[in-house]
Amino acid sequence: MEINSRPVVVKRMPERVNARTAREFLRDVRPFLVTDRPQLVFDLSQVVQLDAAGVEMLLRCMSEAHRRDGDLKLASPSAQASVILELTRTERLFEIYESSTDAVRSFSGFLPNAMRQQLLHKRPLNQAVA
Amino acid sequence: MDIRGLVLINSEGMNGEFSGLPPALVEVAGKSALQRTTERLRQFGAAEIKAVIEGPVTFAPRGNGITGPKCITTSRERFWRVAENAFAELVQDGAELVLLFRLGGYAEIDIERLVQFHLDQHCRVSQVSYGIESLEIFCISASRRNDAASLFRSQLTKCRSDCPSVEHTGYMNPLAGPTDLRQFAIDILTLKTETRPGGKPLRPGVWVSPGAQIEKGARLLAPAFIGAFAKVRAGAVITRCTSVEHHSQIDCGTVVENSSILPYSYVGAGLDIAHSVVGAGQLASLRRDTVVDVRDGKLIAHLAATSGRKLLGSATEFLAYLPKQVWQGMFGARRRLEPDFNTALRQASPSLGTASGYQAPACDTEAADKFSGSLAVARRYGNQ
Repeated sequence: MEINSRPVVVKRMPERVNARTAREFLRDVRPFLVTDRPQLVFDLSQVVQLDAAGVEMLLRCMSEAHRRDGDLKLASPSAQASVILELTRTERLFEIYESSTDAVRSFSGFLPNAMRQQLLHKRPLNQAVA
Repeated sequence: MDIRGLVLINSEGMNGEFSGLPPALVEVAGKSALQRTTERLRQFGAAEIKAVIEGPVTFAPRGNGITGPKCITTSRERFWRVAENAFAELVQDGAELVLLFRLGGYAEIDIERLVQFHLDQHCRVSQVSYGIESLEIFCISASRRNDAASLFRSQLTKCRSDCPSVEHTGYMNPLAGPTDLRQFAIDILTLKTETRPGGKPLRPGVWVSPGAQIEKGARLLAPAFIGAFAKVRAGAVITRCTSVEHHSQIDCGTVVENSSILPYSYVGAGLDIAHSVVGAGQLASLRRDTVVDVRDGKLIAHLAATSGRKLLGSATEFLAYLPKQVWQGMFGARRRLEPDFNTALRQASPSLGTASGYQAPACDTEAADKFSGSLAVARRYGNQ
């Protein structure tokens, strides 16, 4: 495994992510996305409203980053953002971390305890089956 | 001190067989519980490790880059006799202590502590306990062959002498079914166990074994494991503690979330597999607590049995093609001549005729004779 020394860009997403703000946000992050092997973290802690355009923008950023052998990770999503991501079944397409710091560190080392794992250990599997 | 290991795997008292193999032989994140236990014994310094496995020879793990134990396969009836003989052989070879594991579940016991306890207490046989239940893990003094014999003859239920127990507080998974297999994979991939996934880290949290093919456009999200010679086709997403074991194939556009894909499994294109264990043409859904036998090979299939046959079938077809053509050319029945246009017009379609009571009137009229055979041409160029 190579030692990662490339910069990680952290961007905080706006409170309301609708078609207009999503477009503006995408314009802001595009220069980082088009670099070679981009490493981005979007902080969703401030997000109180996320609509389909916002989700689409996230997916577009993810696919752009992926196309250039980079990655996009999400950090500290608010309850509202989490609900929308789960509703649209897009949360499984992202690595989601409890904080931006953990998300940044995850590019150079695996941090299983910092990952959002509510689906894995929501309840013990044995109980779920019983 | 000469310490050796003896691992027993049989189906008695186990209810967790999935995919036709005892759970201890099913590979999870690159290695089976047997291989992981063997690794731990080797790390501790066990000079020799033998495994007695109930079942056919094919049950013995193949060398996938991991030095396995010496495996002896046997029938159900002879299992305990063979196990006793294996113990005797280890003693004859110079063992002073034998660590005996009967693998149903997987426990990461502190072997050093167990041996130290055994020596300090001057035990003949000592056992490991986990909470209130006793695990089938023993440390046996090689000189006490009678105690060992009584232990084997009672199928590890009774010990002739006192059998003090040392409590295990580390990781333990009973591997009693698909749910436990899945939990085992999750625990390995989230580093809750001391044992680690097989393969090498491709990037943080993603382990890939040699020979695995990950096509461009496939997305692997940490934590994930891709086994040796597994294929992840374009557009597939492997996410949330998913382990794709060796020689498995995930076809284009399929999302595999929080699932275990057991060795030699094929998962078809465009599917959504979540919270499941897939293996041997079966899908165990953990959310619904049910096992589904999937018959459609386009959805889920078992590759091991079919790949050889497929190759054989293709080869036979290829070799037989030319002679078949020659034979057909020389002796094959002549093609029936197509009925001419007018005859075709007169014949009522069987599907339209008697079945529905419908009679095609135009077909039976004499008017059909008035049309020449070039009618079709006339219609084709009708606008000229």
